[in-house]
Amino acid sequence: MGREVGIVGVGQTHHSRRRTDVSQAGLVREAVDRALADANLSMEDIDTIVIATGPVLFAAVNQPEKWVVDAIGAQGKSVVRLTSGGGAGFAGALAGYYQVAGGYSERTLVVAYDKLSEGQLQYSISTLYDPFWGREFAVGIMGFSAAYWRARMDVLGHTEEAAAMVAAKNRNNAIKNPYAHQKKAVTVEDVLNSKPLCWPIKLLDVPPISDGAAAIVLASDKVAHHSTTRPAWIRGMAYCCEADNAPERSLMLSEPLAIASRQVYRAAGITNPRRQFDVVEVQEPYSCFELNYYESLGLCPPGQAADLVASGATQVDGDIPVNPSGGCMGANPIGAVGVIRLIEAATQVMGRNETHQIKDAKLALVQSGGGWANLRGCAVLSA
Amino acid sequence: MFYAPDTAPIDLPTFKSTISLPYTLTPGRAAGVFLAEMPNRRIVGARFADGTVIAPAQDFSPRDGEEPTELVQAPETGELTGFTRVNGVVLGLVRLDGCRNSFVHRILADLDQVKVGQRVAVQWAAGDEGTSILAIEGFVPAADAAVGEVKPLVGAAEPLGVINYAMALHYDHAYGPYYGRMFDELKENGVVMGVRGSNADEALLPPREIDDITHKRTGTWKACADTGTIRACSLINVEVYGQTRQVPYAYAEIVLDGASTKMIHVIEIDDLETAKQQIKPGARVRAVWTTGERRGAVSDIERFEVIEG
Repeated sequence: MGREVGIVGVGQTHHSRRRTDVSQAGLVREAVDRALADANLSMEDIDTIVIATGPVLFAAVNQPEKWVVDAIGAQGKSVVRLTSGGGAGFAGALAGYYQVAGGYSERTLVVAYDKLSEGQLQYSISTLYDPFWGREFAVGIMGFSAAYWRARMDVLGHTEEAAAMVAAKNRNNAIKNPYAHQKKAVTVEDVLNSKPLCWPIKLLDVPPISDGAAAIVLASDKVAHHSTTRPAWIRGMAYCCEADNAPERSLMLSEPLAIASRQVYRAAGITNPRRQFDVVEVQEPYSCFELNYYESLGLCPPGQAADLVASGATQVDGDIPVNPSGGCMGANPIGAVGVIRLIEAATQVMGRNETHQIKDAKLALVQSGGGWANLRGCAVLSA
Repeated sequence: MFYAPDTAPIDLPTFKSTISLPYTLTPGRAAGVFLAEMPNRRIVGARFADGTVIAPAQDFSPRDGEEPTELVQAPETGELTGFTRVNGVVLGLVRLDGCRNSFVHRILADLDQVKVGQRVAVQWAAGDEGTSILAIEGFVPAADAAVGEVKPLVGAAEPLGVINYAMALHYDHAYGPYYGRMFDELKENGVVMGVRGSNADEALLPPREIDDITHKRTGTWKACADTGTIRACSLINVEVYGQTRQVPYAYAEIVLDGASTKMIHVIEIDDLETAKQQIKPGARVRAVWTTGERRGAVSDIERFEVIEG
């Protein structure tokens, strides 16, 4: 086992549909300044840096780290850029975790961002398809995601109403989140009556398109106390994959997420996730995914996600609140989202989430994912 | 074991693909003011706390990441620090007087008139180039030009928020032996061919050398039927950039009879409500082949249609 690693500083931008006042690099700078200030550190204290973004086609700057390094004053540091689609931020945090846990760094800065207002989101994602085999029929990630939700309706009972409950819960939670930019109260009926985009996905099942950045400082147990008396300790973290087009790939439960959660729960001593976790943050780029994650993460047995959301247990005042921040429904700067979910969970277990603190939260679960729904990961944070 | 064919590289036709996208890029404050001042024929630089001036202006010092203390007006004269010739055009690195950095622009002179270290002066474009750095036509040799001074920027324009940009990327993808044969069979014989899994009779589509699950060599080739079963589907009603057909239609992942993996295609629909009932996982479908000449691509199948039951 490696060394203990804690999140000791966090920072994110006020996410927005379009930031015309800052460049991509300027956006990153804002999040980095906030995370360093939060950790009582300056760039001089940082040993290594991980920069994470979504596909470069999102904003047409190839190797953006060369631009970002100037903007955050990282000249001369060890810098790695990492991309993993929607899971880029989480994969970046995992790379940073490895560096500190492995003893190669005392303090690592992980910054993740996307400036999605600049490009054509769904078309860019369509280029993830095999150019020979399916790209010409692709509708970004939305057509695909809706198709497998439709399949899960029949097998697992993930109804339109259950997903609408997720969308309404997260959208209403986002109203309190100062960093969210989509803040409008909606009802389950509003979601069900919204325009079908890729049915069964409807307009209000879909998160906004956002510009945003998020950064965390990871520190070893040796130096964490310089920044805070109460770090958010990472008790386990994993990111697994499955084959894209194998016969066995059902896309009912998320197999890589189930594998990752088994690994992480073993490392963190979790035997009953539903009872043990105080709060959960998941990356739900469409509402239907959150239902899938309840089951893949073992918060309920397969086929019972619709019952779980209907019971109210995942509401802010339920026994297992999921996305008190509002999740992706409040803001969705894709590459940054994995780090945003970590920040939300970290501030919960640090006891200093200013606007949507879950009382006495000590143990938090974070989920993120990317690739072609074939990369899924999770982490456990504790006080 | 991976198979190493006993052949030398050969030239084969490629699959041509273009990714073409429009963008709205954000230059940020300093570069935004630089561009906004181009129609005013002023070159905007940035002065940092240590006195360094950078032109064109940048939001962050390339030396230490600090933000500028002020934007300034850079002089129109400077020195050539390097040059090359590309397609008959001389491109040079120009360091404006009083500035620490060089930037690339056209040098309006023949190559034999150009020397590193020589004095140059800006030549503004005759026409209206708008808020583009091409409002500067280029730099001309100016041996006697006086050394210019960095001046305060009086009455700076508001920074430009968005720049329209477009990119078209052209690719030539190699088919490789497995995709090559599959598309040849599609074109010549109108048959979808896969290869059997390492220990299964069902074919993997698209065909591949190694079985994903067993990591063993795949088996022999097999023709799949042009009928199959929907595994997953959605009803597309959203218009997005780059879409090649009119909404609504269905996106479907279909397992052809005789195959074990999916093929992605489309199904025409009349209206959403009827389609919700007819097009669903488990529904049987058949391929509708193109009536035109087959090209050796998935689109040789124009679409699928539900087999009425």
